[in-house]
Amino acid sequence: MASLRDIRKRIKSVKNTRQITKAMKMVSAAKLRKAQDAVIAARPYAQTLDAVMAQLMAGQDGEPSLPLLSRRDVKKVELVVITSDRGLAGGFNSNVTRKALRFLTDAKQPVEITTIGRKGNEFLRGRGYTIRKDYPGVLAKVTYERAREIAQELSNRFLAGEVDAVHVLNNEFVSAVAQVPVLAQLLPFEAKAAVQKAASQVDFLYEPSGEAVLQKLVPQAIAVKIYRSMLESVAAEHAARMTAMENATKNAGEMISTLTLFYNRSRQALITKELMEIVSGAEALKG
Amino acid sequence: MAKLNVEVVTPERRLVQAQADEVIVPGADGLFGVRPGHTAFLSLLQAGQLTVKTGTKDEQYFVAGGFVEAGPQVVRVLADAAEAVSGIDVAATKKRIGELEEKLKAFEPADSRGDELRGRLAVERKRLEVAGKK
Repeated sequence: MASLRDIRKRIKSVKNTRQITKAMKMVSAAKLRKAQDAVIAARPYAQTLDAVMAQLMAGQDGEPSLPLLSRRDVKKVELVVITSDRGLAGGFNSNVTRKALRFLTDAKQPVEITTIGRKGNEFLRGRGYTIRKDYPGVLAKVTYERAREIAQELSNRFLAGEVDAVHVLNNEFVSAVAQVPVLAQLLPFEAKAAVQKAASQVDFLYEPSGEAVLQKLVPQAIAVKIYRSMLESVAAEHAARMTAMENATKNAGEMISTLTLFYNRSRQALITKELMEIVSGAEALKG
Repeated sequence: MAKLNVEVVTPERRLVQAQADEVIVPGADGLFGVRPGHTAFLSLLQAGQLTVKTGTKDEQYFVAGGFVEAGPQVVRVLADAAEAVSGIDVAATKKRIGELEEKLKAFEPADSRGDELRGRLAVERKRLEVAGKK
């Protein structure tokens, strides 16, 4: 049986753990709020962009012949995996990496991998995959500027014919307790998806021309998509960590009460035993 | 008199949401003004100064390019980046210009690989110019 001192030590260490998980939970809660604000702040731009795009596409006859929109035979695919830089976030990273693995094994074409976030990079490298490109340190502070650089690089590869399709895999923030890994096609860009929302048909005057506007608009929309994926992922990460840490704190609390109960019982048993020994000793002396 | 609903949004946040009498926008083919009742109009932006006029009050912003959608009642500016002119950090802008010029030295003027850097440099110079005007 463990000695009383051992149990006491154990209780102390679990208490320390609980302190840490509690602190982590609170930090995540604060970061989550910030990340959510960023997601919300990004919304008006994305919505307006969608609306403008819908107007433009509605005005065009048929599919416009923009290189970024044109689909072709897919011989090579690029997969962008967005995870987090840190662990201890429950199933957050493993959900994405599992899906990534399935994508990689199911793919009929060769796949090149881009990673954003250290965890996904480490996982896939550990599985023997070659990472074509990693963007480290993007997630610590997600900026549109960086998102645009990434979008530009991916677009250039697509335009140069190095890959024929680009997919993005990331966690989507559904609520504080639910995050879902989502796989979406980034390139060729699906402009038609936005068109369905085209509300009113207005004849716009374009300057310099509809064509030119569309040409600027599509790369913008792609950058926004990457930007949003990263924001969503960051929000989901903090939400996942918050939940995980809350559970950990609860479990630690349960463990402490079990251990305390056990400790008190052992102590009581010891006292009783000692008492009995004294009493029986006294009895024996009385003789 | 009818007013215009003016919105200036960047991917990161909504900078302006206000009612105004007139908006002067740096369009791709030059400055243009929008007043209530303007025809539906969609233009690219170039880096420059955006002015929002309300009564006798003018508010100046710097936009780094993007789009503007104008209609009879609304002006929506989708800027790549935007900030109030009074908020421009001149020292930081100068520093960025210096860095970009440094990086550009690696390319010949005719080298198309430097185009992106050159574009960014032009935006930063414009930012400085707008900041200096007021």
